[in-house]
Amino acid sequence: MVAHDTGPGAAAVTAESVRRTYHLAEPVHAIDGVSLSLGKGSFTAVMGPSGSGKSTLMNLVGCLDTPDEGRIEVGGHSVGELSDAERARLRGTEIGFVFQTFNLMPRLTAVENVRLPMVFHDGVEADRQERARSLLERVGLGDRLEHEPSELSGGQRQRVALARALANEPTLVLADEPTGNLDTETEAEIMELLVELNEAGATILLVTHERAVAEYADHVVNLLDGEIESLEHLSDARDVTAREQAAGGAGNRRSTGEGEA
Amino acid sequence: MNLRESLRISWRSIRAHKLRSALTTLGVIIGIAAVITFMVLGGGFSEDIVGDIEAEQEPAMTVQTQTTPEDGFGVMLVETPIYTESDVDALEQREGVEYVAPQGSLDVVQAESGGEQLTGVVDAQATTADRFEHATFVDGGPFDGADEAVVNEQAGQAFEGNVSVGDELELTFEDGETTTVTVTGVVESELGEQTPPQVFVPADEHYTTTVETPDGDEERAYPTLQIGAEGLDDVDPVQETAVDYLEEESHAAELKGDDDEIAVQTVEDAIEQFDDLVGQLTVFIGAVAGIALVVGSIGIANIMIVSVTERTREIGIMKAVGATKRDIMQLFLVESVVLGVIGAVVGVAAGLGFGYLGVWLLGWPMVYPLEWVAIAVAVGTGVGVVSGLYPAWRGARVDPIEALRHE
Repeated sequence: MVAHDTGPGAAAVTAESVRRTYHLAEPVHAIDGVSLSLGKGSFTAVMGPSGSGKSTLMNLVGCLDTPDEGRIEVGGHSVGELSDAERARLRGTEIGFVFQTFNLMPRLTAVENVRLPMVFHDGVEADRQERARSLLERVGLGDRLEHEPSELSGGQRQRVALARALANEPTLVLADEPTGNLDTETEAEIMELLVELNEAGATILLVTHERAVAEYADHVVNLLDGEIESLEHLSDARDVTAREQAAGGAGNRRSTGEGEA
Repeated sequence: MNLRESLRISWRSIRAHKLRSALTTLGVIIGIAAVITFMVLGGGFSEDIVGDIEAEQEPAMTVQTQTTPEDGFGVMLVETPIYTESDVDALEQREGVEYVAPQGSLDVVQAESGGEQLTGVVDAQATTADRFEHATFVDGGPFDGADEAVVNEQAGQAFEGNVSVGDELELTFEDGETTTVTVTGVVESELGEQTPPQVFVPADEHYTTTVETPDGDEERAYPTLQIGAEGLDDVDPVQETAVDYLEEESHAAELKGDDDEIAVQTVEDAIEQFDDLVGQLTVFIGAVAGIALVVGSIGIANIMIVSVTERTREIGIMKAVGATKRDIMQLFLVESVVLGVIGAVVGVAAGLGFGYLGVWLLGWPMVYPLEWVAIAVAVGTGVGVVSGLYPAWRGARVDPIEALRHE
């Protein structure tokens, strides 16, 4: 078991020899001895075929699930040792979720959806409305504040979800196939936004099965059968792509980086 | 999570399903409206009857025989003449007793005055002049001779010609005999407008009902006595003495039926007894109406369970963004309490409305049963809490991982 370190500086999330077993007809190790460290401000993609343990890893890192063995730390808290309520609190303050299916509250407006994590986190009382508004402006939805999700396009909904993920200034933004339900053009917009947020300081863990999407990240963790098969560092290539784009390049920022696996 | 935020979110979801929410609260509305309506009607009925009884304190009490009906509840008056002349005399000897006025009805079938005949309307009572010791006369005074009579206001007004002092009244008995009396006084009715037209004539000359006493003698006996105490302070001891005597030593104690009870009541006691009765009846009917409330709360619970299932995904989302089990419970509880409170408020309004309509149609005074309004609102809130607890608990237990996968 090798500890994979994806980031410089202090770690936002660390996993040590994590195992999660589902007791079906016979025990299945959905995650089997994974050690991982996500540095603060890093942008990591988790890739792998279905059944490789991506979702389980995401649930574990997102404090929705607890490991059977090993230890996961998010923002300095050991997830497995927390009570149900404490983990809920940790999800609210340290994690921001972005889902493939957006998962916005259908009857709440964009602003109210963004406010929601703040509502459940009693600490931030004063300027919820103001903060929700500015977050929506930041993702380019300043003119859609009072719209309900049904009145927004897929891309706009995902922007609301992104704004919501940032509501409590989380240690980590967890994006699970965030562009899976979007067309290519909107996908690029959302991924650019993620890169932007990352460059502004957010730590991002992206789960995807699309290579093209994964390449927006600095690091790619390849999962197979619940174990880390390989780790790629793409950071260097990023500058190149950025320059290409500045020169008029379009589409994915990267064409290199493949074949390292 | 603070209450204002949960109210806002709950209110959204209630408004999102307007028809469903309305139908859900309908059960509570009907239940509470029914209870309040019956309370208004019961209160109005009671107020109508008791309200104009002059509850002036007077040192007098009535002796009557009461029984409990076999099927039903409350009390019934027994009109059997069991209070004999000996009983009257014995009671008069007791300390503090100023007078004992017996009273018994005569089988008068018709009354005539100035050529105007009233059949089966006027109730003729034989009594003694003492009976009017504490009565208020509108005109004139008690009778003094055999051919004199006192009428109450209702009897005076029963005749188109308005019988008054000095007028002659011809009474026809069941057996065809007649007697003519002169009215000496018009007396106010203690029991207010509910009292039937009554004519009072001297018992000595007109009352003939007799019973065989336990001693084997034939004596006149009456179904009702009025006992006057010497002063207000004597009322309680006299009441006690009278009860003791009547229950232990009197002829009445021997003559009364096994299930009958001798009641010695002041006007206040009688009002109290009546109020108790109406109260019991009202609560009984109210309890039946309360069943609708139980049905209503089951309705809320049912809808809340559906709502929890429907919103499994939303619960997952909320948990993902940091909602604790407690937050989720609070959300669903607030929602069901809001439904319950809305039901209670609308139900109270509807109940007061129907009650108002009812008493208006029946000509009774409107009574606002404030304590029942408070109870209704409390019950509505309680119904919300109770019917929301299980659904809320189910909602709180939802596994966020499963819920987020839920379509």
